[in-house]
Amino acid sequence: MSALLQARDLHKRFGGVRAVQGISLEVEADSVFALIGPNGAGKSTMMNLLSGTYQPDAGELVFGGVSLAGLPAYRRARLGIARTFQKIRLFRQLSLLDNVLAGFHLHHKVPAWQYLFPAAAFWRDWRTCREEAMALLDFVGLADRAHERAGALAYGQQRLLEIARALATRPRLFMLDEPAAGLNGGEVEFLLGRLREMGTRGITVVVVEHNMELVMNVADHVFVMDHGEYLFQGTPAEVQANPAVIAAYLGGEFA
Amino acid sequence: MMARTDQAFMMPPSRWVGYLVALALIVAAPLVLGTPYWRGILVVCAMNVLLALSLNLVLGYTGQLNLGQSAFFAIGAYVSVILVRSHGWNFWLAMVAASAAAGVAGLLLAAFAVRLRGHYLGIASLGFAVITYQVLVNWERVTEGVRGIYGIMPPPPIVLPGLPEISFGNSLALFWLVGGIAFVVYWMLDNLVRSPVGETLRALREDEVSAASLGINGARWKAFAFGLASTIAGLAGCFYPGFVGTLVPDAFNIVESFTMLAMVIVGGMGTMIGPVIGAVVLTFLPELLRSAGELRLMIYGIALTLVVLFMPGGILQLVQIVRTRLAPRADGGGSR
Ligand SMILES: Nc1ncnc2c1ncn2[C@@H]1O[C@H](COP(=O)(O)OP(=O)(O)O)[C@@H](O)[C@H]1O
Ligand SMILES: [Mg+2]
Repeated sequence: MSALLQARDLHKRFGGVRAVQGISLEVEADSVFALIGPNGAGKSTMMNLLSGTYQPDAGELVFGGVSLAGLPAYRRARLGIARTFQKIRLFRQLSLLDNVLAGFHLHHKVPAWQYLFPAAAFWRDWRTCREEAMALLDFVGLADRAHERAGALAYGQQRLLEIARALATRPRLFMLDEPAAGLNGGEVEFLLGRLREMGTRGITVVVVEHNMELVMNVADHVFVMDHGEYLFQGTPAEVQANPAVIAAYLGGEFA
Repeated sequence: MMARTDQAFMMPPSRWVGYLVALALIVAAPLVLGTPYWRGILVVCAMNVLLALSLNLVLGYTGQLNLGQSAFFAIGAYVSVILVRSHGWNFWLAMVAASAAAGVAGLLLAAFAVRLRGHYLGIASLGFAVITYQVLVNWERVTEGVRGIYGIMPPPPIVLPGLPEISFGNSLALFWLVGGIAFVVYWMLDNLVRSPVGETLRALREDEVSAASLGINGARWKAFAFGLASTIAGLAGCFYPGFVGTLVPDAFNIVESFTMLAMVIVGGMGTMIGPVIGAVVLTFLPELLRSAGELRLMIYGIALTLVVLFMPGGILQLVQIVRTRLAPRADGGGSR
């Protein structure tokens, strides 16, 4: 079987900055794929290219056998690609519940007229969405705060809420950009468990992460970037032992 | 830009009570305010409610700064009148076509909203209203320009079998008609914003990038909001000329967009009832102060400034503050 996601020779520049230069990678289905590298290595840009937030200057992207060329982010979400953001982007004025409910956008099976005149199908959908949303909030440990405003959450909890919202799209591929940033020790442990759990639910995970402990604990495969370029890839153990990676880490500002 | 209050979650029973109270008010208002003058004000109020509801869908729920809503009001008014007078259409058919025409114009503005954000969209929409106004002034062959169109008839009577004919020549029946339409529009929008469509529009308002990551096609849903909102504004426009009897471009000066904006924000945008309250208060306040002329705009300006400065959630926010202050005393167990 070929990989779930394949990137070939991706390029992206911002003015004079070459953020991504000729990156090729393959993400195997039902694995946890970690993307690491020093600050400014181009990891977030890769996420944005894969999710469709940006379009590449050159290169190919294939997801589940479908070319992603030119597809905007919302179309990729339909194919089953979900993501979180390094700089958290919640619907801050909305409740936690409403944040997650918005994630069901693609999955409502209600005849359009029932949005004006609610009938049986509308209420069935209404109930199942709320039940599923509460289950997802429970999955990230926020069920008891469902009716609070998302903007009122502490930083780490906002990250967890973003995960619940993205999971509401029922993704095949879930990409998380530094999910552990700003989380305390207990929250990181919790997140680790949740990432493993996603693997067992048939969700392929791509995670950009600074927290080495987390990467080494959950990743099946680690891909290292530096200055927009490919540096190394392999198992966590291989990456940890690689001199080039160690040099990049010592040279970069890594935790 | 400005803070928005969250949509209040009401239990279904209280919603029904609210609807019944609103219906009772619509029926009773012109009987209490029995003079032709006050009934006329009520008709204007019902049209303003429709306009405020429409603008709020775009501004309050979808978060798109639209300063040109008067253009759609104008398109509804002119298209309906021209279809009836110059092409001999039945008024009710013309009403449907004129609302649709306004809706299509709204899609045009939505095309800008897909490319422009915030202030830039505000300026583009203002430009749209200015252009519409200039077309009304200069396309004299069709619109009669500044000379205006005179002797416009109210909607034709409705004849229902077994009932007396309902004539809209007086403002009593006309208010019940427009007020009834405003009620139905409110009810449908209220359902809509509580549905997944409302969830989608609010998501778009809060953050377009993460909305896209959830599969939301921003361009499509903005077009939906603009299209529906301008259809409703166009519908309101259909009743205006028959009520006043004349039609001149000045009735759709861009200042009218400003008054709609004031109603939405003073009442409390992003809520269903807020803009209705805003429309009612800002329609009646100048009348009560006996200053329908120049001072009207001044009152709107002052109200808008005060709200934006001190109470961004509008009158509705004030109501909620008062309610929370009173609440502990109400169930405090007779501490007095
Ligand atoms: N939208 C953008 N506009 C301009 N430069 C950008 C943009 N996004 C990223 N960059 C630049 O691209 C490089 C890679 O950034 P990024 O992908 O965020 O790195 P990482 O996530 O690995 O820290 C950096 O030099 C950054 O300044
Ligand atoms: Mg980054």
